[in-house]
Amino acid sequence: MNSGYIDQLQESFHTDIVYRSEDIPLECTPRPREMEQTLHGVMKLNGLIIRSLEEIAGRGANAVTYRAGKKFGHETAKYFQKREDVEGALHELSDLLRGQYTFEVWKPADKENYIIEENGETFIYLVFHDCIVRQTLRRNGLEQGGPLCQTLFGYVVGAIEEITGRRAKLEIVHTGPNACLKKLVLK
Amino acid sequence: MEIHVDCDACVGCGLCVKDCPMDVYEIRDGVSTPVRPENCMGCLSCHEICPAQALEHRGVYPARRHYIDIRVCEMLRKVI
Repeated sequence: MNSGYIDQLQESFHTDIVYRSEDIPLECTPRPREMEQTLHGVMKLNGLIIRSLEEIAGRGANAVTYRAGKKFGHETAKYFQKREDVEGALHELSDLLRGQYTFEVWKPADKENYIIEENGETFIYLVFHDCIVRQTLRRNGLEQGGPLCQTLFGYVVGAIEEITGRRAKLEIVHTGPNACLKKLVLK
Repeated sequence: MEIHVDCDACVGCGLCVKDCPMDVYEIRDGVSTPVRPENCMGCLSCHEICPAQALEHRGVYPARRHYIDIRVCEMLRKVI
């Protein structure tokens, strides 16, 4: 390898910046625009991992990603205040997820309450607007509702279980390019 | 939510009727008609599936689109 190139490379990583341990960065560096390539790289990598997992593990891929998401949900929500009411928990969860996912509690026009009881099931409809999973899937040309979506399901279920202490399940009702409708089934 | 269907463009294929989970559309007089727009949650699946691009939604929340490459868009803008 050309030694001139190595010198040049080493020089590019050398700065005169003094960095003290008490220095806390106050803002994200570099600017988001410069982070775009990194973001696309992470999305591409995640997409390929999920595709490969699905190829090797088949339907078992869903179980793996669901479990990973659930652990993540439990882990994140354990620092939050415990409460019994589901609406309060969802409110807390929306704060928790801000920046990665944004969702709203939703009901069809003919329903009176957000907590719906039907066919012996108690559930709440959630409409997910911004979603990093959907972004990743569309970036990679992958179908929605597959194993990567299971990480989100696990995350929501894990967080709800952690905050309320109640068992829950999240089902896909519909996936779209701009929003997805999910059903949070309470047990 | 306000949904407008371009009746001249709509071919009445019924794909939006089949796809919508909230039964917002029905085929009436050979064209798609939004009969329950209040039930629309703004997923915009109907936009993606409509072969005639005959639909228009007003008051929808546009989700963030991280997957669109700024550099590619800049290049496209130069060409367009």
